[in-house]
Amino acid sequence: MTGTTVVSTLMVRKWIAVFCLTAIILAVFVVGVGAAPPRQQGGEAIFQQKCAACHTIGGGTLVGPDLSGVTNLRDVDWLTRWLSAPDKMLADGDPIAIELLKEFNNIPMPNLGLTDAEVADLIAYMQAQDGGAVTVEPAAAQPEVISQPPGDPDAGSQLFIGERALANGGPACISCHSVDTVRGLGGGTLGPNLTHVYGRFGDAGLSASLKGLPFPTMQGVFSKKPLTDDEVADLHAFFSQADRTTQKPISSTGFFILGILGTLVFLGLSQLIWIKRLNGVRKPLVGR
Amino acid sequence: MTVAQLLFGVFPYVAIILAVVGTIWRYRSDKFSYSSLSSQFLETKQLFWGSVPWHYGILTVLTGHLVAFLVPRSILGWNGVPIRLYILEGMALIAGILALVGLVLLILRRLNSPRLWHITSVMDSILLLALLVQVVAGVWTAIFYRWGSSWFAAFATPYLWSILLFKPDISLVSNMPWVVQTHIVGGFVLLALLPFTRLVHLLSFPYAYLWRPPQVVIWYRRSRLGGSR
Repeated sequence: MTGTTVVSTLMVRKWIAVFCLTAIILAVFVVGVGAAPPRQQGGEAIFQQKCAACHTIGGGTLVGPDLSGVTNLRDVDWLTRWLSAPDKMLADGDPIAIELLKEFNNIPMPNLGLTDAEVADLIAYMQAQDGGAVTVEPAAAQPEVISQPPGDPDAGSQLFIGERALANGGPACISCHSVDTVRGLGGGTLGPNLTHVYGRFGDAGLSASLKGLPFPTMQGVFSKKPLTDDEVADLHAFFSQADRTTQKPISSTGFFILGILGTLVFLGLSQLIWIKRLNGVRKPLVGR
Repeated sequence: MTVAQLLFGVFPYVAIILAVVGTIWRYRSDKFSYSSLSSQFLETKQLFWGSVPWHYGILTVLTGHLVAFLVPRSILGWNGVPIRLYILEGMALIAGILALVGLVLLILRRLNSPRLWHITSVMDSILLLALLVQVVAGVWTAIFYRWGSSWFAAFATPYLWSILLFKPDISLVSNMPWVVQTHIVGGFVLLALLPFTRLVHLLSFPYAYLWRPPQVVIWYRRSRLGGSR
C-alpha cells in the first residue's frame, strides 16, 4: 500500500516535471513568435505610422521640427542614437537634444520603441527624401494648413469625460487624464494633466497629436482604435477652451480621505452586525 | 528577449501552468490538506478584525477585476457618467483599504503570537508577503494612477485576453508605471502560488452553501439556560 503510494507519487512528480518543462519551452516559443515584429516595414510606412503625428518632411513645423534636410544637418550616428532612445539622450544631457527640447516648448520626443532595423529604415527613407545634395531652405515652408471642421467644445467635453463614447471603442480621456475644468474628484492621473496642452502643442501640433496619439503608452490601445476626424476637432476645441481656465488642479487627497472614511464606516458596521459573536467562549474555558 | 517580454509574455504562462498542474497534483497527492489550516481556536479576537475586513475587501476587489475582465463594456458604460465613475472608484478604494487593513492585522497577529507563529508554515509567510505587495501596489495604483476601473478595461483586459489567446501583446502594459507592472506580475505570482499555499481554500470553499435551501438550527436548550431568546 505504502509502496504503491510512493511509486505513484514519484511518477506523478516525474510527469509534472516533464509537463512543466515542455510548457515553459512552449510558452517561450509562443512569445518568441507573438512578440516578434509583425512584419518588416519600409521607412515610409514607419514614418507615416510613428512620426507623422508630430513631424513633416517639407510640410512645416508641427509638434516637432520639419525633418526635411535633417540627414544633411545631423550625422547618421547622432540620428541613430536619437531615434533609438531620445529619452536616454535627454537624460544624459546631449547638447543638441537639450537645445531642441527648449526650442519645441519643452515637449520631449517620446521613445517610440523602434528596433535597430526600423531606425535604419527610417534614416534611409529620410536620406532618400533629402535626395543627397539638394539644398533645403529651412523655415521656408509654412505650417501645413490642416483643413478640418470647426469642433464643438461641448461635444469635446462629453467625449473627454466619457458621456459620449468614442466611435472606434477607445476609452474616454478621463480614464487617464485630467483637465482642471472637470470638477468632482477630477480626471485620471495615469497620464499627464492636459489642461494646458493646447498652449504647449499649438493648433497644428495638437491636431496632429490627437490624430496619431503617438505616445508609447497610448499606442497600445489607440493604434487599433484611433479617434475619428470629428472627435479630433471636438477635442481640439475643448482643449483650446480648457487652456484658458483658471481652475486649480484636484489632488488625490480627497479621494484618499473618502477611502479611509468608508473603511472606518465598514469596520463600525461589522462590529454592530456581529456584536453577538462568541467572544466570551474561550476565555472562561482556558483562561486567556 | 527583454525583461518585459519575460515578465509579461512568458511568466504568465509559467504561472498558469503551475496553477493548473499544481492544483491537480496537490489534490491527488495530499487531498486532506486541500484547505486552510484554521487558527481560530488559538486566537479569535484579533482574527475577527483581520479576517472580516480582509475577506470582504479582497472578494469585492477580485469581483471587480473579474467583471472588468469578462465584460469590460459594462464598466466603461457605467463609468460614462463621472458621478458613477466616482462611486465605483470610491467603493473599490474602500474595499482595497479594507483588504489592506485586514491583511496587515492578520500579519501582525501571526507575528505577535508565538502559538500562531508555531503553526505558520514557510508557504504561509511567503503567501502573506506576496499578498501584502500585491494589495499595496493595488491600493497605490487606485490612489495615484486613477481611474483604474476605466483604464483596466482598455489596457489590462485586452492584455489578459491576448495571453489567453496565445498572442501576448505586451505593448499594452510594457509602458505602464512600475507600480502597476508590479501589480500585474504580482497577480500571476499569486496564481502560481495558489496550489502550494493555503490559497487553495478558494477552490475548496463550499460555494453551494450560497444557494442551498436554508437549514433551521434550533438551540432548544438555550431558553432553559436563561439565554437571550
